[in-house]
Order: sequence, then C-alpha cells, then structure tokens
Amino acid sequence: MSEAGFKPGVAVEIEQSLYSKRKKIYPRQVHGLFAALRTSGVVVLLGLYYIIPWLQWDDRQMVLFDLPVRKFYIFGMVFWPQDFFYLALLLIIAAMSLFFFTAVAGRLWCGYACPQTVWTEAFLWIERKIEGSRPQQMKRDKAPMSWNKFRVKASKHFIWIVFSLFTGLTFVGYFSPIRELTYNFFTFNNGPWEIFWIFFYGFATYGNAGWLREQVCTYMCPYARFQSVMIDNDTLVISYDAERGDPRGSRKRSADPKQQGLGDCIDCTICVQVCPTGIDIRDGLQYECIGCAACIDACDDVMDEMGYAKGLIRYTTENTLKGKVTHVFRPRTLAYGFILLVITFGAAYAMLNRTPLAFDMIRDRNTLYRETSDGLIENVYIVKIMNKDKRAHRYQLSVSGLDGISLRMDVDHIEVNSGEMVEIPVRAVVNSGAIHRRSNELSFKLVAEDVEDLAMTEDARFIGPLAER
Amino acid sequence: MTPPSASSPTPPPAIPLIQRVVAILWPSFITAGIATIVFATVFDPKTLFMEYDFSRMAIYSVSFFLFWLMGVINAMSTCFFLMPCSIFNKCKTRQDAAAPE
Ligand code: SF4
Ligand code: SF4
Repeated sequence: MSEAGFKPGVAVEIEQSLYSKRKKIYPRQVHGLFAALRTSGVVVLLGLYYIIPWLQWDDRQMVLFDLPVRKFYIFGMVFWPQDFFYLALLLIIAAMSLFFFTAVAGRLWCGYACPQTVWTEAFLWIERKIEGSRPQQMKRDKAPMSWNKFRVKASKHFIWIVFSLFTGLTFVGYFSPIRELTYNFFTFNNGPWEIFWIFFYGFATYGNAGWLREQVCTYMCPYARFQSVMIDNDTLVISYDAERGDPRGSRKRSADPKQQGLGDCIDCTICVQVCPTGIDIRDGLQYECIGCAACIDACDDVMDEMGYAKGLIRYTTENTLKGKVTHVFRPRTLAYGFILLVITFGAAYAMLNRTPLAFDMIRDRNTLYRETSDGLIENVYIVKIMNKDKRAHRYQLSVSGLDGISLRMDVDHIEVNSGEMVEIPVRAVVNSGAIHRRSNELSFKLVAEDVEDLAMTEDARFIGPLAER
Repeated sequence: MTPPSASSPTPPPAIPLIQRVVAILWPSFITAGIATIVFATVFDPKTLFMEYDFSRMAIYSVSFFLFWLMGVINAMSTCFFLMPCSIFNKCKTRQDAAAPE
C-alpha cells in the first residue's frame, strides 16, 4: 500500500483512515485517595472561579480586569496597561512552577488543577448523575434512538449548556462588573459584545469539557507535548510495576499466583476502564497520560480485593523501578527551584515597592511656544497623573531646568482619587533671558503632599525662540 | 502490502481530522490572544479610533478576531505548502508510470 498512496482511489481510502473517528471514552468512576484529592481540587478551584468575581473590596469588585476603562483591580491594587511588566513576571513564575513541579512529580498540574481536567470532571459528574454508570452509558449509546434515550441525552445537554453559560457569564464577569452584567443578562440588557463573549466562552466550555475532553490534552495542549523534557528517571510518575505484575492473568482469589507462574496483575483491565484518556498504563509511561492517578485508586481496590499488597500501579520513579536510588535533590530540581525562588521574591519585592503613582508630561504639539502678555515665554503641557494607590492623594507639581521657570495652573493642588487618572493643562513660563537654546530639558517633579516618599520626576522639552543675544 | 523501500515513501501515520483542525485553529487562537493583549497594552483604542464611536470592548473583540483570522490564514498556508509535492502530481509520478496496474 506504500506506493498506492499516490493513486487517487487508494488515496481516498487513506484520507478516510486519516479522518478516523475517535473512539468515545467512558471513564469508569473511581473511589480512593487520589479521587478524593482530585474531587476536592475540583470543588475548591471551581468554587474560587465562580465566587471570586462576586466578592467586593472597598465597594468595588475585588478582582476585575476592567477592559472598558483599561484598569485592573486585584484586591486593593490598581494596575494599568503600563504595569504589563507585572503580568509578564507572573507568567514567568507560573511557567517556572510548572517546570519545577513537573520535574518533581510529573503532570500534577494536569491531573489536579488544569481547567480542562477540572471542568471535564464536573461534566463527567453531571453525565453520571443523568446517564448512570459506565456500562449504562455504553449500553444506551449502542441502543437505537428511543424516546427514553432522547430524553436522557437532551436533559444532559441541557444541564451542560446551562452550566456552560453560567461559566461564560462568570468569565465575562471578570472583565465587566459582574453584578450589573448578571442583572442585565436576565433582563436582556447586555451589550452585544458581552452577550457574544458569554456565549463564546460558554460554547468553548461545552465543547471542551463535554465533547473534546481528552483530545484537548492530546492535540491542543502544548505542555503535554513538551513535558517529557522536564521528566527524568528521578521524577515521580505513575507507573505499573511490570516486575511485580507480569505475567498477567486471571486467577481464582484462593489460587497462589506463584504456583501458576503469574504475577500480581489479574488482567481485569479496570485500570484501562477508569482512564480518562483511554490508555493502558501497563504499556508504560505514555504521552497521553495526564497523571490523574485514577488507575492507582482503581488497581489498589483490586489488590485489596485479592488480598495483595497495594501499589501495583503507583507514583514511583524510573530509578526505583529499576532498583536504583532516586534523587529528589538533583541539578534539575535545584536549578528550577532556585530560579523559581529568585523570581518569586523579586516579583514580590517589586510589587511591594511599586510606586503607586504614574505621571506623564505631554507637550502640546500644536504650538511650539507663546509669548504671554507679561512678556514671558510659555509652553503648554498636559500633565497626566494616575493614582494607583488604595486611597486618594493630593499632589504638587514643580519644575526645574531653566532659571526662574515657574508653573501656572488653574488649580493649586491636584487631587486624584484611588484608581483614577486626571489630565490637567499646565503652563510653564520663563523669562526669555533664561533661554539659551531652542530646545531645553525640563524636569517636572510630582510630590504627594499627604505622604512621605511618594514622588516621581518626569522630563519634558521646553521650546523657546532662538536665544536673542 | 509491499514492504516499504527507500524509493517508495510510506504514507505518513494517520492524523485525525480533529488534530488537523485544532492545529490550525488553536495556535492562531493563542497568538491572537497574545497579539490582542499587546495591542491593548500599547494602544488605547479609544484614541486610535477617535473619530468613531466604538466601545473599547467592541474594538478589542474585533481586533481579536482579525488577529485570529490572520493566524488561521497563516497556519493554513503553512499546511498548504507543507503538502507533499506528489499530491499535486496526482498519479503521474515516475513510480506509478513504471508500476503495472
Ligand atoms: S487494575 Fe491492576 S490488576 Fe487490574 S488489569 Fe490493571 S494493573 Fe492489572
Ligand atoms: S494512565 Fe492512569 S494516571 Fe494516566 S491518565 Fe490514565 S488513569 Fe490517569
């Protein structure tokens, strides 16, 4: 068939196999330590996701990325687009922690914290509540369409869609005040783009957690593809102990496996049935494995049932399986850990010592300079002040750079509320005798009057007539 | 099934449809997201489109989809140019001409 690939007739055949349909996976429900951990992860993370936007802080939403006004509120802090740097730092920290935890214990993120896992778990839970257990689901899917099947499927999708829309609404609530948003949603008063994003995000949730599921991990996740780079023989990963389990085979509970020449694996395939990605962990560590540990719980139950020791499938390292020593502290973990610590402390320091003030002097571009009625040379500026602090401040603006230069403003003090920005026109005037060049460097200084050490300087040009000697 | 030889390339392993679709839509989605964030940080769309009465939300959304569309065009052309040349030859390859039907 190798050459035949180029012949149209066979090409069609290949095309069809290229587009082969995925086999639907029906993960069987598991109970046990890791299942409990995962469930608590789901409850906590989803809880946080749905509750956080409703929390208030000083009568405004605690976490709000207010796109319409380009301001980000996180707890008491206000961030502006100019603070993009902190977002970048945060992303680097997230990436480094991912590296670190992957090196230590494999795909912890995937198994317990990834939104894809978390929402898929929630969707699976709904599915089980409505459609029943794995065998029931499989039987129903094989059966021809009937009123009963239709009713069950329809109610499942209905609940999924409602849940997804709620998820989408919450998501948009991080960007646009959620109380108003929700009120408007139920009174049909949202703006078209808000509606659009609620449905878009809802649809993405429904598609990813309801339909795509493990395919997201397999085909869409970049992390899944490069995580193997961070994993080595000392990394804790979920493995089947082939030494102990093989040769596999079914047996009576009373039988002595040794006599029958069997290992501890009874080949019940429960571990395959519980796997959300549909792989057989007994084939070794695979790219598709998201480290959810469902197979550990499942196999431990089987081992209990058989009266064997637990841990035929367990968190272990390649080195341990080979009978070698495992090094938790090794160059890789130390390096990742060190970089992570440095960046985290650096970011925390930068954040705590952030000047909660930004200001900008913009020269009026329309006029170069003007002569005032009292014979001085005047330049006009717009001063932009952003108060990023938790409370209001009064500021005073001063200037230096030319002899005898002074400022003229319509106000004496500049008051800026927390999280607000003001723009005020300012005129700098100076005696023409002080100007020796056409373009002069001025230094503006903004000082908060009500607190110490809150000050910033900003340079701007002052244009004058050519020096009249 | 003839054993594959050096002169007869074996067809590549099957790539599921979903993987192909995802490979085009998804990376461009991510880059569009990044591009939108950068765009929104560097420019205030309100001042950029001053003469029109667009809301920022509308400008951000439209720019996101434009970026996405760009990415999709880009990814699709990459895939298009990566297609093996033999596909364009239909059955007129030298091997096919030599091989008795
Ligand atoms: S669950 Fe355990 S005993 Fe059963 S097939 Fe899997 S590894 Fe073997
Ligand atoms: S092999 Fe085990 S740990 Fe990996 S995804 Fe499947 S059930 Fe989860």
